Amino acid sequence: MEVTFRTLPLVRAYPPLRKTLLGCAAGLGVLALASLVMLAFRSHLSAATVGLVLVLPVIAAVIAGGVLAGLATVAASVLVYDLLFIPPYGSFTISQPENWVALTVYVVVMTLVSHLTSELRRAEAVADSRTAEAERLFMLSELLVGERPLSELLELIAATVHDALPVTSVVLLMPVGGSLAPVALAGDPLSEESLAAVVPAGGVLASLAGRQQGPGAGESTSNLVLSASGRPVGLLALVGMHPPLPRRDVLATFANHVALALERAQLREQAVRMTVLEEVDGLRRSLIGTVSHDLRTPLATIKTSSSALLDSDHPLRAGESRELLELIDSQTDRLTRLVSNLLDMSRIQSGQLVPRLVPIEARDLALEAVATLDPVSAARVRIDIPDDLPQLDVDHVFITEALLNLLENALRHAPPSTPVVLDASANGTSVTLRVTDQGPGIPPDEREHVFERAALRARTEPGGPQGGTGVGLTIVKAFVEAHGGTVRVEDASGGGARFCIDLPVATRKAPDRAAR
Amino acid sequence: VTTILVIDDDPALLRVLKIALGALGYDVIASPTGTKGISDAALATPDAVVLDLGLPDIDGVEVCRRLRQWSNAPVIVLSADATEDRKVEALDAGADDYITKPFGMKELSARLRVALRNRPAGRQGAEKDGEAQELDAGPLHLDLVHHEASIESKPVELTRREFAFLAFLARHQGRVCTHRMILEAVWGPRYANDSRYLREYAYRLRRKLGDEEGVFLRTRPGIGYQLVPPDPARTSQAEGRSEGTDA
Repeated sequence: MEVTFRTLPLVRAYPPLRKTLLGCAAGLGVLALASLVMLAFRSHLSAATVGLVLVLPVIAAVIAGGVLAGLATVAASVLVYDLLFIPPYGSFTISQPENWVALTVYVVVMTLVSHLTSELRRAEAVADSRTAEAERLFMLSELLVGERPLSELLELIAATVHDALPVTSVVLLMPVGGSLAPVALAGDPLSEESLAAVVPAGGVLASLAGRQQGPGAGESTSNLVLSASGRPVGLLALVGMHPPLPRRDVLATFANHVALALERAQLREQAVRMTVLEEVDGLRRSLIGTVSHDLRTPLATIKTSSSALLDSDHPLRAGESRELLELIDSQTDRLTRLVSNLLDMSRIQSGQLVPRLVPIEARDLALEAVATLDPVSAARVRIDIPDDLPQLDVDHVFITEALLNLLENALRHAPPSTPVVLDASANGTSVTLRVTDQGPGIPPDEREHVFERAALRARTEPGGPQGGTGVGLTIVKAFVEAHGGTVRVEDASGGGARFCIDLPVATRKAPDRAAR
Repeated sequence: VTTILVIDDDPALLRVLKIALGALGYDVIASPTGTKGISDAALATPDAVVLDLGLPDIDGVEVCRRLRQWSNAPVIVLSADATEDRKVEALDAGADDYITKPFGMKELSARLRVALRNRPAGRQGAEKDGEAQELDAGPLHLDLVHHEASIESKPVELTRREFAFLAFLARHQGRVCTHRMILEAVWGPRYANDSRYLREYAYRLRRKLGDEEGVFLRTRPGIGYQLVPPDPARTSQAEGRSEGTDA
């Protein structure tokens, strides 16, 4: 996109007619007053003195109305001067030659004074407007320097430009999906129609010069391309620009400021988005890594066992063959459970699967979970759940799996001979189930993440004290939260870890259990 | 009897390896943690170590590093992670070879045989680096003083770099050398990440050595290279085939 600047008239060489008339009036007024005063004692005044006094109306006219008013007043003053103050009074005749000189000098000097004074005024006006522009630019850059979100910045830019320039409305356009679209507006609201008209058609040169926007719009629009680092970042549409029109270079500076601010904000947003994406990506990779690890571990046992069983060169003893077959069997179960847990987790998280809530005793859930463990592990678990605990309103399949995962995690990380305690207590509307081990525990700063990714962090980074919890805890969290429950981990009194899940208490009683 | 120390936290795999390696005629010591593994290695002085990288107490790479401080026993690393980083890390820490879970027993026993066969010689060569004047790796003979190479007594013309590459692998024969190890030793530390040189040189070396199939000078994809002298007792074909499952 290209911008074509046409030179804008800035401070006009001649002030408008109204101002000139005003100047003439001022000049003539002062002239009349001075003449009246001097008439009273004109016999005592020399021609030169009158000439000096008559400087006043000209100066007044120039200051009030510019050079034209000044020249008009000079003409009027010459007439008054000659008629009233140069003898013979009452006629244009000049008898004495020195009065010719006085009159001529007056005309020449006053013409020069008119021009000089009006130049001076003009220079002053330019300086004033430059100061004002500098102040506006400073304001703009002040405003744009702050760290603001992009949307807020866009509104701010439009508002600031509207305040700084003589326009009725300002529309900020930015590329959205391949074409320019309005993203912020300040000043008089625009109708849908004129807003659409502001957007330049593709391929048309955007022009700074006023552009008539169809029959309806009526007002002219100037476009200011915003480009930073040689790349267009947007377009400022200035609707209904009116005098005094700002200078071209001021507009360009404005555009540069705004463009840089926009680019900076865009880059910052991009950086933030990248960081978030990287984190999400890291989490996903870590989950995939953990799942891959957890799937490969039972597969390793299955593959190694079957390949050893198939190796006819190195026959196994009967007992060993049986043991390998049993391992294949148990590891296949482990793999199946893991796969269905993972599928259920992803179905729950995507909303395809909703827990079927049925009132059930916490003790039954605990017994079911322990029954799934192998006998050696099951012998290490101590269930300590009071009889008078209220029933839970849960899907027993998911909560049993959650408990099972917590038990397996505890059994894996605690020393082999130590017990793992599964207990529970009621507190109002919820019941807390706790799995406590005597293992190394989890440092406080890792507790927050232990359900998400401690697993992989510990596996891939050296020295993780937990050594990897696998995807099990992530599954626990997903299953419990699907019931509106919460999971957390805390210190056990003996130094181990205590995993707690809070679950809602049933509001109704299961008929079969109540009858028992 | 050859003793093998297996360090893995998964009790099921530990049990299978004990039975299966036992059937192959090895004595097996099983350790469920890194700490236990290190002390077992010190007490029983195993001939080779099979080490899982994901251990509950100490990281597998760290176990490898600690073992290397006082033991020459070849270490084969088990990884449940399909990515290369961890394996490279373990190899750089002194491991000899790696296998990705799940793996078949044929593959593991082939790797163990290569490691057990070549490690002591390779280790010696590496330690006497400054003094050694000649190196042998199967049919390959290298004269380090005159930079002359011959295979099955037939001279082979090698450039200076080709010779240095081959000599490095021969010095560590049986061991998987990572790209970085080779580049740093042959090209210098500044080239540690330019692994494209290696592919070109490996290709040229194989042609000159008559090893177009890469059975002697093996490529370990994404990891590095390994010089595997043929097993005098077996055909090298079987090993070459088992290689395919780990790519």
